[in-house]
Amino acid sequence: MDLSVLDRLKWLQQQQMVSPEFLQILGSDGREELKRVESYLGNNNDELQSFRHFPEFGPDYDATDGCISRTSSFQMEPVKNNGHNRAIALHNKRKPEGKTEKREKKKIKAEDETESSMKGKTNMSNTETSSEIQKPDYIHVRARRGEATDRHSLAERARREKISKKMKCLQDIVPGCNKVTGKAGMLDEIINYVQSLQQQVEFLSMKLSVINPELECHIDDLSAKQFQAYFTGLPEADSKQSIMADFRSFPLHQQGSIDYSVMNGTKDQTSSSWETHSQCLYNSLRTDSVSNFFSLK
Amino acid sequence: MASADKLINTDVPEKDVFALHFLQSLSNLKTQNPLNSPAKSIDRVRKIKKAAYVSMARAAGGTSRLWSRALLRRAAKDDNKSVRFSRRKRKVTWKISSKRRKSNNQRAPVVEEAAERLRNLVPGGGGMETSKLMEETAHYIKCLSMQVKVMQCLVDGLSQK
Repeated sequence: MDLSVLDRLKWLQQQQMVSPEFLQILGSDGREELKRVESYLGNNNDELQSFRHFPEFGPDYDATDGCISRTSSFQMEPVKNNGHNRAIALHNKRKPEGKTEKREKKKIKAEDETESSMKGKTNMSNTETSSEIQKPDYIHVRARRGEATDRHSLAERARREKISKKMKCLQDIVPGCNKVTGKAGMLDEIINYVQSLQQQVEFLSMKLSVINPELECHIDDLSAKQFQAYFTGLPEADSKQSIMADFRSFPLHQQGSIDYSVMNGTKDQTSSSWETHSQCLYNSLRTDSVSNFFSLK
Repeated sequence: MASADKLINTDVPEKDVFALHFLQSLSNLKTQNPLNSPAKSIDRVRKIKKAAYVSMARAAGGTSRLWSRALLRRAAKDDNKSVRFSRRKRKVTWKISSKRRKSNNQRAPVVEEAAERLRNLVPGGGGMETSKLMEETAHYIKCLSMQVKVMQCLVDGLSQK
């Protein structure tokens, strides 16, 4: 049960909603409120108990000894994870995956406050909750055993997780990526796919240029039904078509006035505006035929 | 063709949008150029290819994608024209080129090599961080495949005559 860094961050952002409640609690005096705070902390009390046992397993935690003292501060975390992991860590010393996991809090400001947290529960709760509220920018990271816990490597690990998640998304898009495993192969596949797509565009444009001089009369004569026939039946794009390079002499195109100003909100165009748009393009086509074409989808 | 990616927003408009933009650019090409002077076929091909890319960038990305902006800027520069981008939200973006970053030497050199090659392929990739590059690549691939389909349909339809 390893919440990744990103999941943890999202969870924390959701939990930011909780902090106003604590402000109310701490704002008013009275022991009842303190008890309420303790009830919130009730889960963490168990954790504190378990933390006191940790030093017994000294040699196992040498590598990350320093972080034990850091971890025992107040946190609003899902209890199941913590209790479960701690129980396993206490009893078995190893998780089934072969690594014990410890929590480490990566603070943006000084970490000295948590050192004092081992001493008192309620004291700790007050200071910690106030400090929690005032500095809400914690990134709760789960450090694995044997891994470095300094800030840089944590940031590095977070970044790598982000990249691998995005590569998984890419994997769904690029066909044929599922067979190859590993980052290197997948990336090679993706690069080849992009190259092949660009080459297809080039080949198709060459083909279009061959057909081109006939295109002018065709565009004028084409009716809506023929356009529908063109664009509804989409065949799968083949890989690398052979081009019959029948280059005749074509008229030279002067500087085409490609309009570079980007129209925003083209996606939001309604059918009526599309009609007017197409009217400019195809003068000989009637309005209703074009609207038939565009009302297909 | 909308995708269900939670991380990346790779929604791409329908093929009608692409078709409309491409046909528009093609007809622009034709109306601007009379059938008088002899031409080299290579120039013609190049024009069409450029029109295809520009129309794809306009149809799919608009201003909201880095690759489309870079593509349009590059195309406009070739023709010595200026591009106008409307800015809705001005976000301060720091261009972090990967070479200038302080390397922690833990940047998974395999990934970074491939990212370099991708940066050469995807327009506008030079100023992007690797994670952003992945997002842009995904959207770019979707748009490219859509454009290829549209062009294929057009070629097939016209060659039947």
